[in-house]
Parts: sequence; C-alpha cells; structure tokens
Amino acid sequence: MATLRRVLANRFVLVPGLLAIVVLAWNAYVFTHHHGIVAGRVVDQAGRPVGGASVALWVYNFTTYEEKEHVTTDHDGTFRFTNNPSHRIQVSAEKPGVGRSERVPVFLYFRSQDIDLSAPLRLAGAG
Amino acid sequence: MNRYPRWPIHLALVVVSGVMLVPFYWVLKTSVSGENIYAYPPSIVPARIHPFFYVDVWYAIPFARYLMNSVVVSAIAVAGNVVFNAMAGYALTHGFRGKGFVVLLFLTCMMVPFQATIIPAYLITGRLGLLDSWLGLALPQCSTIICIFVFKASFDAVPRSLIDAARIDGLSEWRIIWHVMMPLSKSAIATNVILAFIWSWNNFLWPLIMTRTADMQTLPLGLARFLSYQEDTTGALYAFCIMVLAPGLLLFLMAQKEFMRGLTSGAVKG
Repeated sequence: MATLRRVLANRFVLVPGLLAIVVLAWNAYVFTHHHGIVAGRVVDQAGRPVGGASVALWVYNFTTYEEKEHVTTDHDGTFRFTNNPSHRIQVSAEKPGVGRSERVPVFLYFRSQDIDLSAPLRLAGAG
Repeated sequence: MNRYPRWPIHLALVVVSGVMLVPFYWVLKTSVSGENIYAYPPSIVPARIHPFFYVDVWYAIPFARYLMNSVVVSAIAVAGNVVFNAMAGYALTHGFRGKGFVVLLFLTCMMVPFQATIIPAYLITGRLGLLDSWLGLALPQCSTIICIFVFKASFDAVPRSLIDAARIDGLSEWRIIWHVMMPLSKSAIATNVILAFIWSWNNFLWPLIMTRTADMQTLPLGLARFLSYQEDTTGALYAFCIMVLAPGLLLFLMAQKEFMRGLTSGAVKG
C-alpha cells in the first residue's frame, strides 16, 4: 500500500496521470456535445422576435467561409441547425421587408460543438 | 555565513531570466491573441485571450497523427539511448586494450555533423527496410556520444569496491549494469532521457529525408507543412509552436533536478 502511494505520488506518474485524466474528461465532454447543433434567435431592431427569417450557416473552408445551409426561423424567432460540421462558422439572417443582420463569427472549441448563441441576430436596414 | 549579501545576485538572475523568457512569453501571448507581432507600440498584455488558434491548428493538419509519430519515435530514441549509452558508458569505465583509441574515436565523431553522415545513414536504413517507419526514424538517434560520457562520468563515481562485491556475489556484467550501476545513476538516466527526448522531438532533417508518406511525418515537419499553407495566420502558427514545445518543456520541468545533477556529475571530484 505504501509502495503504491509512493509510486502514485511520484511526479513522473502524477503529472502524466493528471494529464490523462484531463484528456479523458475532455474527450468525454466532446463525445456528448458534438451533435452539430447551432441554435439562436433572430430579432428586429426593436428586439422583437422575427418569424420566417432566413438564417444562413457559413462554414470555414480552408481560406474562406462558404454558405452551407439555410433554415427559417419559427414564429418566436428561434432557429436551429442540426449538422454543423465545423469549428469555425458564421451565421447571418435576413427577411425581406425587415432587414438583414451582419455575419456573426462563431468560434467553437471543437468541430460540431453544440452551441446556443447568447446574442440574437439583429435585423436592420430594411430594404 | 556569507560575507556578501546574496540579493544582488538573485536580482541579476531574475532580470536575466526575465529577458530570456521574453521570446517565450511573446510566442505564448501571440498564440492566444493573434495580435500582429510587428505592431507598434507593442502590447505587453493581450487585449483578448482565446484558445481558438489552438483549435485551428488541431484541425488544419492531422496534428494527432503527427503527435503520435513524435511520441513513438521519441520513446524509442529515449529507450535506445538509456540502454545503449549505459552499456557503452559501463564499458568505458573498464580498462581494456584500445580504450584510448575508442575514446578518441568517440570524441572525433562528435565533431562530424549529422548532415555529413546522412547519406550513409539513409542507405543503411534503406537496406534494413526501415524507411518510412517509426524504428527507422528513431534509429540514428538511439545512441549519442555525449550521453555515453554522461553515463561514464556517473559510473566512474560509483565506488569500485561495490562493483567488486557484486562480482564476488556472482552477478554478471549485464546484471551489474542494471541492478547496481543504474539505480545509482538516476541523474545520468534523467539527463539521457531529457537530451534524447529533446533532440529526437526537435529533429527535422532526418524525418524530412526518410519519411515518404504524410502519415509518418513528425511535428517539426508538420510545422513546416503548416507554414507552407497558413502563412497569414500568425496566431495559429504560434499556437502550433507552443503545442510542439509543450511536451519537451513539461518533461524538462519534471526532471530538471536530476538533469542538472546528471550534467554536473563527474565535473567535480572529492
């Protein structure tokens, strides 16, 4: 028992062991949070939810962002992409008559990380 | 009791250490901020810290594969260095005919740069059928002359009577090395481990010459490859540098006490 304790307390065992635990924990987290879900909300300039707006997902492709997918917001302004493959994306929204939002860059900690955007996409500049 | 105050020495050491750490700090700062390194005036503290350049690096190249290659090759090189250097070092503690010539040969070979021997090394590795393999990558680094002398210095410090006692007890030379000399030479082992690891980890030329597929490349080659198509991404480049440096630094920090002792053992007598 004392020998085991001495071995475990050895820094050449302790440090790699702790690193291995961190890596395993991180991989477990990644494994349970990589469904590619990107969710958020679209609002107008007054902060009211905008239903029927078209939201685009832009995926980083080596040097540039390319448009991957479109979804339409629900009546409460929420949207949800379910198969984002990337760790570096942008989202933008537009609705004729209400306006369009800026492209919002989103950086993720790993590919396909599930994320609920805290800030809504704000439509402005109705045309 | 010291005649002079020690704080001026410590202060000077702190200042010198600070100066030497500035480049490392700069690399670390840029890797988490992506700030332009040529910006003037330079910012000492990054404005916004984030880890996303590390994520970029992880996905831009097959980092995990390169990391595994580097780890396996370094592990083979470290194991080879400890085993072969200990055997050679032990042999040099004995008197035998031609020992002076062997030592002279070792010292002479230290002056020949690896670049000069890379073609024979390549041909030999090719004849052994080890090109583009982990063992082939590690083979030329499995023994280093400096580390042989580190073991020799450490073994020289072991009392001769101890070896004689072991021999009288019936231990073979092989068992004397592993059961008597090695436990008494932990510093030399640590020095061998660290030096072999760092040299193998940072080796660029040999993996460049002998790997044929991208799957067998090591981290320094990955860094060069990364540079070739990510030259506009300062943050990611510096993040890559940190990721390559981190294992060596960690190993050194863990074993620095033994490392220092190993390098200085045999330097003083009495």
